[in-house]
Amino acid sequence: MFGLYEFPPFVLLLFLSLFFIPLSTQAQEDTSYQAADLKKMSLEELMSIEVTSVSKKPEKLSEVASAIQVITQEDIRRSGATCVPEALRLAPNLQVAQLSASAWIISARGFNAAFSNKLLVMIDGRTVYSPLFAGVFWDVQNVLLEDVERIEVISGPGGTLWGANAVNGIINIITKSSKDTKGLYASAATGNFMKDFVSIRFGGKIDSTFSYRAFFQQQDYNNTTLVPNGNENHDQWGFVQGGFRTDWQASKSNALMLQGNLYESTQQTAPEKSITNGQNALARWTHDFSEKSSLTLQGYFDRTWRRDVPSTIKDQLETYDIDLQHRFALGKHHRIIWGAGYRFMQDKTENSTIYVGLIPANRDMNLYSGFLQYELSVFRNRIKFTIGGKVQDYTFSGSSFLPSARLAWTPNERHTLWTACSYAIRAPSRIDVDYYLPTFPLPPTIPHVEGGPNFTSEKVTACEIGYRVQPATNLSLSLAMFYNKYDDLYSVEALPGTQVYQIQNGTEGYSDGIEFSGRYQPFKRWKLRGGYTYFHKELRNKPNRTYDYSALGNDPQDQFLLQSILDLPWHFQADITARYAGSRPNPYIVDYFTFDARLAWIFRQFELSVVGQNLWQEKHTEYSTTYIPQKFYAKLTCRF
Amino acid sequence: MRLYLKISLLIFGVLLLTAQTPGTREYQLKAVFIFNFTQFVEWPSSSFSNPQSPLVIGILGKDPFGNYLEDALSNEKVNGHPLVAHRYNSIEEIEKDCNLLYINLTESAKTEKVISSLKGVSVLTVSDDPNFLKQGGMIRFYTKENKIQLQINPEAAKSANLSISSKLLRLAEIVTPKTKSK
Repeated sequence: MFGLYEFPPFVLLLFLSLFFIPLSTQAQEDTSYQAADLKKMSLEELMSIEVTSVSKKPEKLSEVASAIQVITQEDIRRSGATCVPEALRLAPNLQVAQLSASAWIISARGFNAAFSNKLLVMIDGRTVYSPLFAGVFWDVQNVLLEDVERIEVISGPGGTLWGANAVNGIINIITKSSKDTKGLYASAATGNFMKDFVSIRFGGKIDSTFSYRAFFQQQDYNNTTLVPNGNENHDQWGFVQGGFRTDWQASKSNALMLQGNLYESTQQTAPEKSITNGQNALARWTHDFSEKSSLTLQGYFDRTWRRDVPSTIKDQLETYDIDLQHRFALGKHHRIIWGAGYRFMQDKTENSTIYVGLIPANRDMNLYSGFLQYELSVFRNRIKFTIGGKVQDYTFSGSSFLPSARLAWTPNERHTLWTACSYAIRAPSRIDVDYYLPTFPLPPTIPHVEGGPNFTSEKVTACEIGYRVQPATNLSLSLAMFYNKYDDLYSVEALPGTQVYQIQNGTEGYSDGIEFSGRYQPFKRWKLRGGYTYFHKELRNKPNRTYDYSALGNDPQDQFLLQSILDLPWHFQADITARYAGSRPNPYIVDYFTFDARLAWIFRQFELSVVGQNLWQEKHTEYSTTYIPQKFYAKLTCRF
Repeated sequence: MRLYLKISLLIFGVLLLTAQTPGTREYQLKAVFIFNFTQFVEWPSSSFSNPQSPLVIGILGKDPFGNYLEDALSNEKVNGHPLVAHRYNSIEEIEKDCNLLYINLTESAKTEKVISSLKGVSVLTVSDDPNFLKQGGMIRFYTKENKIQLQINPEAAKSANLSISSKLLRLAEIVTPKTKSK
């Protein structure tokens, strides 16, 4: 009766918030350059391209001591994904389930639930999980997919560098520099589920140091249907977004990036439409003191407004964030990164009924943080030892210390063996602390919920071990294994001798699993990538507790992904992305297999593509009571 | 689950056997540089048996380019000469019609031998080897601040009857054989 996690409309709440600079643990080589693009460049331009895509701390993907996986621009384009959550299906270490036309549940390392909340998501350094429920409103997290450089997905904790919420994973969406998006791009599509899609971007440069781009996109999606009869779900979703980005290399050692976004998302809900909109702006200044020392200062403002009819809550959140980060090397062997940040969040809610709501309606939240990480490389960089810690102070959780230690052994370029131990927290959110059901006083003999005045952070201690190998230059494989011990997990329980329920920390447990992934290019024209994830968790009540913890996550044990990218003669492309998600235990949801296919023909600057998604069966269920249909669309794109 | 793991390992294992090599981004860029060299260097007409014969780009030693070189050269012509790439395993295999040679040998001594064997022939020599220009090579790639830069020895090119455009020379660090390369 009080399983908050099972209350699906509540999912469709608000948007926005928290942390960091794209500290990019550095990804693999960017394959987004096409030979044709490079050949158009002058020698000067060629000589200014960086060989590895992150210059601050160039590190090969094969040497990073964490379970990182990268989705490249090509992977996204060739998958036929139409929005960010669909693109995230391409990470074999994420669990992505579509709930309705506009809602998704996305988690790493389990805890897949309506309120999935142990993930840190960033778009160009702007944190986008909401302090309202510590999860992400995926219906308003969109970017122009054409301009995405790569998406880094790290499974496992990253609290030391990234802060609160980086408990089970980090998603880092990185868009291209405006330097790399010159010219006109325009695309239009129509289909049975994505009814229409229009996007346009124009980019250029004023001189060799200053480049810019601006974009606009609009998409409209159809209804899903309901289990079991296939009745219409009335969840049509529309999304409009515009934005810009400028990059200015002011001098050899100073670079300034500025970007802004505005959007509005509309969902068909009974009895009236739900509307969400928002604006954000971010500035980042990078200064190189020398080749070995650089400073990044970043600030952003983000406002989001959400009128979510089914959840009965209206919410406005304003976030102001400033972050400083300095990295430098001491001699050949020692590297230090330190940083400090402050975030102010002003949250104002309005309860439209008296039966459920947040008390107090308005909250100001402050987050202070500072971190230090030290890296030692010895034996000609064959052994890298990293140790670090973050101290943060948050309105709901007080001070916390988030340490981690990592060790990587790279006997040669082709092999890396790594291991890591970390501690991270999921800080309390407003629905953990301020949730009342109902919002008027009741005697203790009648069951009701009175917030979580004593709720503290959920905690994880994680041990990981991984092996990355490149048996041939066209093949790379990665294997990661983890064991996570959780403490003080969420529960809702009655105070002894009363019917007064409070949100508490009465659950504990552990999880373990294996993540296997790889990329393989058997022929020049054929690329394969994919992975397998095995996940297992055991939760239990702390002594004398009775909460039904199954609401904390309904996770499949097995999950597969295989993406095939094939170039055919006469400028045809044929691509297939297949996926399998195992059954979910409680409540039981049947397993499913399905695949997406894309056929495209490129004629000079034009690309005509036909995409089918979820083709294996007419409809399937991914998480709850909706059927996700087969989707088809045709798309015309031009790039000048 | 162990079964799945075994199956996927097996599949990857099988695929591994048919492996071939795509290069890295560094060599994708270098391949485009090589394409550019053909635009900025002039070969004597005697280098080609006829106006339509191909301009041959040879790779001696381990091939770091994968498919990137073909990507950069496909459908391109210089003064009517289509661009093609050939791979050579040893000095002996180098054909007479080779016009540009990228040398990637592990032993510097061998590189020197190759260069001296090409004396008097109009072959543009290119390498990553740090000692390359000292040994009489013409163009060398090096990486500075994570970017690809060029060193050129114009004397060596001149003696092979090759003229390098000033556009290219302007962007490169000029190294003459007697000055020690840095």
